Amino acid sequence: MYPGPIERLISELARLPGIGQRTAQRLAFHILRADDAEALGLADAIQEVKEKVGLCEVCFNLADEPRCRICQDERRDRSLICVVEEPSDVIPIERTGEYRGLYHVLGGALSPIDGIDPDDLKIAELVRRVSDGTVNEVVLATNPTTTGEATALHIAELLRDRVTITRLASGLPVGADLEHADEVTLGRALSGRQSVPGPH
Amino acid sequence: MSGSDAGGGAPTSTVDMCIARVRVLGFRNLVAQELELRDGLTLLWGPNGAGKTNVLEAVCLALSGHSCRTRNERETIAFDQTMARVEVEVRRGAEPHQLLWSLNRAGERRHLVDGKDAGTEQLGLRPALAIFLPDRLALVKGPPAGRRAHLDRFVAALWPGRAEARRRYGRALAQRNALLGRVRAGAASGDSLDAWEEELASAGVELALCRREAVAALAPEFGSAAAELGVAEDAELRHEPRSDASRPEQLAAELRACRERDLARGHTTHGPHLDELAISLGGRSVRRFGSQGEQRTALLALLFAERRALLEARQTPPLLLLDDVMSELDPDRRALLAGRLAEGGGQALLTATEPEQLDCPSAAIAVRRGSVCWSPPAALPSPGGPARASVAA
Repeated sequence: MYPGPIERLISELARLPGIGQRTAQRLAFHILRADDAEALGLADAIQEVKEKVGLCEVCFNLADEPRCRICQDERRDRSLICVVEEPSDVIPIERTGEYRGLYHVLGGALSPIDGIDPDDLKIAELVRRVSDGTVNEVVLATNPTTTGEATALHIAELLRDRVTITRLASGLPVGADLEHADEVTLGRALSGRQSVPGPH
Repeated sequence: MSGSDAGGGAPTSTVDMCIARVRVLGFRNLVAQELELRDGLTLLWGPNGAGKTNVLEAVCLALSGHSCRTRNERETIAFDQTMARVEVEVRRGAEPHQLLWSLNRAGERRHLVDGKDAGTEQLGLRPALAIFLPDRLALVKGPPAGRRAHLDRFVAALWPGRAEARRRYGRALAQRNALLGRVRAGAASGDSLDAWEEELASAGVELALCRREAVAALAPEFGSAAAELGVAEDAELRHEPRSDASRPEQLAAELRACRERDLARGHTTHGPHLDELAISLGGRSVRRFGSQGEQRTALLALLFAERRALLEARQTPPLLLLDDVMSELDPDRRALLAGRLAEGGGQALLTATEPEQLDCPSAAIAVRRGSVCWSPPAALPSPGGPARASVAA
């Protein structure tokens, strides 16, 4: 329908998540109409990100140097490691400003159905990091899904007796009304309820 | 709108839910039909093949998203139509909610509650369902999987917060089975089996507990309902779990003990996915030894028990869809059934071939060749008459 290069651009764009054929066409024509600097800037950014960004050699978070910024930061508490599934999970935890330790990004969760075994994740690397003696506590922050829970259980098994192992609690979102909570979350929050400390 | 129209002094529950209107388009033999419904018993009557059961199926689809008759939902699209569509207006107290189910020939399916995808969040806006269809006898006489699924649906209706238990167990089971297969084929090491067994055990113990508590709530009601339906012997409903483990560590240890056998077979041979819900009369299994009549009675008693338990726990009676239950009951039992249905308020849709089969329905709707008609029966218009039906109290 369109000249070859345009068709190619459209089909490449349509492969992006959340982008259908229609949106891909709109984006392609936007790029065509844009001036050279803008369009080539996008191409350049894609190239740069693929060339320069890799995984941190320590924690496997995204990094544009051998070590990520968090691992380089001297003020971080090196006795604490938070284990997450994906690099994108680091960001929300960082945003809390509450966590001052390091991270370990597994690169996914165990899922035999999808052929993902412990060897496919950075689990051996985590065990190695923990065995050098500086780490006191490992926080398992994998997702509260079947695969995330099993991954947490597997890691807990491997690290048992070496360090303190903790798991993120699950419960209600803060600031939201109970009336909007779904039954499963509310049920979990109820079974994990805590006593209110007394006045003294 | 409350149970008082129908229940004859029955206590009115706080969150009364009722179906106020059903609109059906291109659904089996119902081309374009609209029904208004009230609380209490509504009788749909008409000859065989008129479309009575189709009305029940349409309601079931809009409420639950699943057909109670077929796995291939595409066969519900009328022959000359491109799309089947069911809209149900539910009143929860005074507030109306719209449920919509549609499917087109391309297989695009929608199930919406108030315009949003129907998920667990809106479970509270959908009345619980209890369905009796003659094909549902498979529930009593078929393999245990059907009874487990039914029991788990009842768990979800009784405690929506526990609806996740079955799915969580199913996911963990599928993962462990996949891992067993991969280990057997030499594609993976068994290192993570411990972790999957712990996850499976934790989900399994939770699921088994749900089932145990659900059956404990049902069993006494089942016995008394069966007795009222004329069963002379002791009727018993029993949860027969494959594992008696009450703590995750116990079940995990049991799974570990089965690991070698499971690896050889490539699937999990122990756990709640092999539980049985045993139904027996006078100590004999209804599944194996029950007559056709006993199996029908057992199914009906199970429905009544569930309705009672739901009424007790949630103060909201489930909507009952009863297809052709009257034909095999004698007049005494029919009266008993009608009395049972009226208690506690709520709604029931029944089908029958003759209007006389139910003494005192709140409304009777005649169904003829795919259209629903005015009642009372004496004032029936000719076949193919007005599409709109109303209801005489």
